[in-house]
Amino acid sequence: MNLTEYVNNVYHNTVDVSMPAFGPELVICATIVLMLAVRLFNWGRRVDVSYLAFAGAIVGFVLALYGPAERTEIFTGMLVYDKFTLFMRAFLLLFLILFVVLTKLSGIPDREDGPDIYSLVFGATLGMCLMSSANHLFMVFVAVEMASVPSYALAGLLKGRRQSSEAALKYAIYGAGAAGVMLYGISLVAGLLNTAHMPTIALELARRYAEFSSSQLMVLALASLMILVGLAFKLSAVPFHFWCPDVFEGAAAEVNAFLSVASKAAALALLLRVILGVGAVPPGVADEPVAVQTAPRQHLADGALYVMAQDPAVAAETSGRGREEAVAQLTPVRNYMGWLVAFVAAITCTFGNLAAYGQTNIKRLLAYSTIAHAGYMMMAAPPILTLVGLDSSRAHDAAAALALYIAIYLFMNLGAFAIVAFLRNSLRSEEIADYAGLVHRAPWVVICFSIILFSLVGLPPLAGFLGKFAVFAALADGYVVASQAGVSASHLLWLLVIGGVNTAISLFYYVRVVKVMTIDPEPESRTPFSVGVFPVAYVVLLTIPLVVLIFSWNFLNEWTLQAAAQLF
Amino acid sequence: MESLPVLLGLAVLAPLASFFVILLLGPSLGHGGKSAAYVAIGAIVLAGLLSFISLGIWLANHWPEAPHDDHHAAASEHAGDAHEGESQNAKSAHDSHASEGVAGDSHAASHHGSTPPKVSGEYYVLAKIGDLQLSISYYIDSLTIAMFCMVTLIASCIHVYATGYMHDELHDITDHEAHTADGEHVHRPGRFHRFFQYLSLFCFSMLGLVLAGNVLMVFVFWELVGICSYFLIGFYIERKSATNAANKAFIVNRVGDFGMIIGLMAIWSSLGTFAFDELFEAVRPGPSHVLQTPDGMVYASAQDRVRDIARELGPDATPDQLETAIQERATTENWRNVGPDGKAPGYGYWLLIVAGVGIFCGCVGKSAQFPLHVWLPDAMEGPTPVSALVHSATMVAAGVYLAARFYPFFAPEVLFVIAIVGAITLFMAATIAITATDIKRVLAYSTISQLGYMMLAIGMGGWLAGVMHLVTHAFFKSLLFLCSGSVIHAVHTNEMPEMGGLIKKMPWTAYTMLIGCLAIAGAGIPFVIGLSGYYSKDAILEQGHLFMTTNPGWGAVFFWAAAGGAAITAFYMFRMWYMTFLGKPRNHHRYDHAHESPWSMVAPLVILAVFAVGVAWPIPFSSLRLSTLLEQARPAGGLNDMQGVLVNMVWPNEHDSHAASHVIPATLIAFGTALSGILLATMFYVWQPHLAGEVRQQFSPIHRFLVNKWWFDELYDWIFVKPTHVVSGVAARFDRNWIDWIVDGSAKVTRRFAYGWEWLADRVVVDGFVNVFAGWMYSLGLATRRVQRGNLREYVLFILVGALVLFVVISIFRVTYAGGS
Repeated sequence: MNLTEYVNNVYHNTVDVSMPAFGPELVICATIVLMLAVRLFNWGRRVDVSYLAFAGAIVGFVLALYGPAERTEIFTGMLVYDKFTLFMRAFLLLFLILFVVLTKLSGIPDREDGPDIYSLVFGATLGMCLMSSANHLFMVFVAVEMASVPSYALAGLLKGRRQSSEAALKYAIYGAGAAGVMLYGISLVAGLLNTAHMPTIALELARRYAEFSSSQLMVLALASLMILVGLAFKLSAVPFHFWCPDVFEGAAAEVNAFLSVASKAAALALLLRVILGVGAVPPGVADEPVAVQTAPRQHLADGALYVMAQDPAVAAETSGRGREEAVAQLTPVRNYMGWLVAFVAAITCTFGNLAAYGQTNIKRLLAYSTIAHAGYMMMAAPPILTLVGLDSSRAHDAAAALALYIAIYLFMNLGAFAIVAFLRNSLRSEEIADYAGLVHRAPWVVICFSIILFSLVGLPPLAGFLGKFAVFAALADGYVVASQAGVSASHLLWLLVIGGVNTAISLFYYVRVVKVMTIDPEPESRTPFSVGVFPVAYVVLLTIPLVVLIFSWNFLNEWTLQAAAQLF
Repeated sequence: MESLPVLLGLAVLAPLASFFVILLLGPSLGHGGKSAAYVAIGAIVLAGLLSFISLGIWLANHWPEAPHDDHHAAASEHAGDAHEGESQNAKSAHDSHASEGVAGDSHAASHHGSTPPKVSGEYYVLAKIGDLQLSISYYIDSLTIAMFCMVTLIASCIHVYATGYMHDELHDITDHEAHTADGEHVHRPGRFHRFFQYLSLFCFSMLGLVLAGNVLMVFVFWELVGICSYFLIGFYIERKSATNAANKAFIVNRVGDFGMIIGLMAIWSSLGTFAFDELFEAVRPGPSHVLQTPDGMVYASAQDRVRDIARELGPDATPDQLETAIQERATTENWRNVGPDGKAPGYGYWLLIVAGVGIFCGCVGKSAQFPLHVWLPDAMEGPTPVSALVHSATMVAAGVYLAARFYPFFAPEVLFVIAIVGAITLFMAATIAITATDIKRVLAYSTISQLGYMMLAIGMGGWLAGVMHLVTHAFFKSLLFLCSGSVIHAVHTNEMPEMGGLIKKMPWTAYTMLIGCLAIAGAGIPFVIGLSGYYSKDAILEQGHLFMTTNPGWGAVFFWAAAGGAAITAFYMFRMWYMTFLGKPRNHHRYDHAHESPWSMVAPLVILAVFAVGVAWPIPFSSLRLSTLLEQARPAGGLNDMQGVLVNMVWPNEHDSHAASHVIPATLIAFGTALSGILLATMFYVWQPHLAGEVRQQFSPIHRFLVNKWWFDELYDWIFVKPTHVVSGVAARFDRNWIDWIVDGSAKVTRRFAYGWEWLADRVVVDGFVNVFAGWMYSLGLATRRVQRGNLREYVLFILVGALVLFVVISIFRVTYAGGS
């Protein structure tokens, strides 16, 4: 392959294949540039940048709704573009729209800071879009950093407050540590397998698994654990959650909403990408018998990172037997990752719920609640891994359950943090004790907050129940199918039990907040205030889906199933 | 025409939207709730615009034909011109004339075989059970559209009027007519937005009732207007009299609704549908549209014969076979016309009567007909705009509307019942109105009396006369009520003996009210032109005269009741006007404080006065007028002569009443009665004021009888209320002495047991366990918090420690459970 050919190839791949699918990201970039221009030329006094941000988010969202129906790898295999990307991007941009509206309503940031803050938020969102479509370990790293670095600055958004700056610093340093560990893991994998392209890694593992010595296997296991550390940091999974409560307490509630919804959703998407990218073979990648495939190594030998799905040797569609074979040979890899994720999910969930008990600050309480929910959502991953090799349609169901949980989680946590932000504006406090008797002052807000909290517990008929039920059903499904196939999957049963117990014990601290707001007497010293019509309308609009979704959630189910269908 | 359901549907929903907006945002709308009025006005005006656009669309498609005044002479022409305007119904235009019974004379009216132009269909199917279907449907004909225009126009005027009338409610109010337990006046915040909230809900319900395409929907909206009426009568909820009146209205209406439910059950169980289309087609099948007992009712009541047939066929027969056999037998044995005892009426006829009378019972309650009329005078406790809108122009007219809508379904015997009830009502209420001194009560009894007129007209087969009177009455009666409200607003009392001479203070009110009085009296130049009431009342009397010629006995009763009622009406209306506006002021304090009302109240008066004068006028150089428009909606077969089966009477064709032999005497009698009534009132209250007192003394028993409203309230109190109290007293004593003893005893035993069991099971076992567990969890939670110390150096260290620990733990797990990686 000479240089011209190579350049032509890259050009064709970038312009003709990649760019069209990359529209929403490009819109985000353009919006960032525009906003920075506003900042640079000091138009800030004349142009309210939040409208610009809103317009950019809307355009991006509309573009994100359309896309090719086939799974394609773009940018020479760095990113993968499929229905799941479509779903996650639409989700993230929808959240972005809602987030811009929230900041507009709550008045943070002010006009002066607007361009900076929105640029950071858009930059982080861009990184999250990349996270949800990463197909290459380098891309995993770059995307995680791209999402994290703006978040560090966002945590310090409240410039004058010491707590806020401290939170930003802690976040940044902790993030750097986690990133280092992750990068080490990536380099170990790339070094052992001569590639960082995830589908190729899967094929390589499948082909060479039997040949690995036990020390090589151990290095691989350690490396994958290190990569997981990076993801666990984004997920705030125990024991890599330490940044989370401090940052949430220090940062503004709006930023918390961003971190707890968008960031978490993107991290979960990335988790799926990594475990399925390495533990399964996506459709259309390897339909040749594994033994025939030598192409990836040759390309690497050429010194290119360029491992193409477009390569005829790799993409050739033959019997499909090769893929099945590869998937079967990856069973131990999936098993290992399944156990790992299950273990982390179990302790994350339990720890988050227990630590939330004694909290007096609502943001800290919600931080632990976020940790616990990350645990619930991670619980969906092990059954997917178990089911991939056994019954792929049920595996799709399990992945769809995760997507469903994410979608519902958006409304719950955005609503909760929005209420915290609005109440902060009115009460100048974020202590739970100061919410006493709030129902007399702001009945609608309290009603919505109570509904959201009960939904977070997962009580029927609220939407939180749907998400939790779907995940638990996936666990049960995985266990049953695995036992029928004679495969040991006791970790799924354990997870199910732990998840159930956790749901019960989480009731206490959520209901405590409701009790304070409704039953406790109102302090006499409270000055009258009003939350305002638009904030209340915003909160009500976020709450309505939680109540009505139970009546008709099939559309969501079908949508998530579609999203999951092209994952593996 | 396809856009009509959408337009009218939106017109129905606009007030509902207003209701919800005010409900949710009410007090926080601007200007201390005043914006609530703007929201409500905007909604009803929008509904009005949509209604008039619909009217335009309707007229563009169905321009009314010219009336055939000289009916007999033009008979042959009728058959020829055959409805050029009704393109939709061309199919049946040439169908041969078919009349029922004896009086099928020679006039071959083309109307007989046609169905009226209409648009009907479904918005949404609520439930489907086999062949049975419940849906939200619509039925739009010219009657629907006329009702829409009338309701929205009047409601718009009244909404505007109410912004002026209710302005007190914008601030905190001290209600001088309501007292707290310690004798103080009730002090309460204003309820301006609440008032408009209810008005909007009412408009929604009323329009929905008119648009409804099936009886069940009618019933639902029926109850909705009922509850709105309840809210609005009890608007001054602190006043005992208001809450009593609201309860009375609600309970009395339930009596009527009970009958209506029976009617609905009769229809549903035998015919399996509520849709107007299907019901009318079942009762009056095309092309002749002659009333007959529908098959469903025949089979339902001939159950013993059906059972016999089933037994003969044996258990193996398929449902189809059974049905064919039943149909055959029914035809050969003529079940429809020959009953079980071998004579008429045939099977099912009684069911038809029960259904009709049942539906009419609902109308009796809602339209305050004898014997359920007692609630309407008390309903005047509500604010006056409510009386004008709900209790005179629209809701109470809904009963008449339903009777008109259901007209094709009514057997002659049902019509007979309707006519009797109408005649009694109109006469009784008119007499009571003579002696009433409360200005609103005069109008209330007048309303009852006029509703009686409408019912009587429909009962005598005068469908168009009744419906026309419904529309014209709505305008002049709402005008009269608003004028009375304007007076009350000025002098702060309802009592006419406290008024007098007000014409100088409030000329606008006085003259618009005079127009209303003239309109209700049916004033006009005979055979030339008159106010709106002239047209509709004369039409009723013409039909009465025709009815009297075909059925001399009862017809005479009905006709003279109507004619006498007309005279009394003219008398008491002018008595009211004279007492209020002419003469010397009888209470100088009130007179001095009186003033003309603000423009927001006067403007609606003027608009309504214009309509009260001219709504029934023919539009020059065209065939369009109220009567021809409504004529389009005349039910299919509504012009057949009908022979009663159980009563030996004939219901004549309404078009025959336009013959000169009926028009001339009826018009003259109407003119004479109105004139004599007015003259009598003038004599008693203007020329010879002392005469009134003398006459009162002369006829004091009658006067007492009338002042006490025929003792209806006392009668009902004695028959229903007192016995109920006695029974409930006995029941209460039984309850206290026996039931309570048993319940208390068992409760005591249960409680003893519960205490013991609670101590053992709950406190010791369950609580102990739960508390211990919760304690563990709580301390565990607090312990986990302690890890989080806020030390950044530790945190970063924990990344490595965590990763290593995780690796070790997971390796152990893997080895233990899954046997190596």
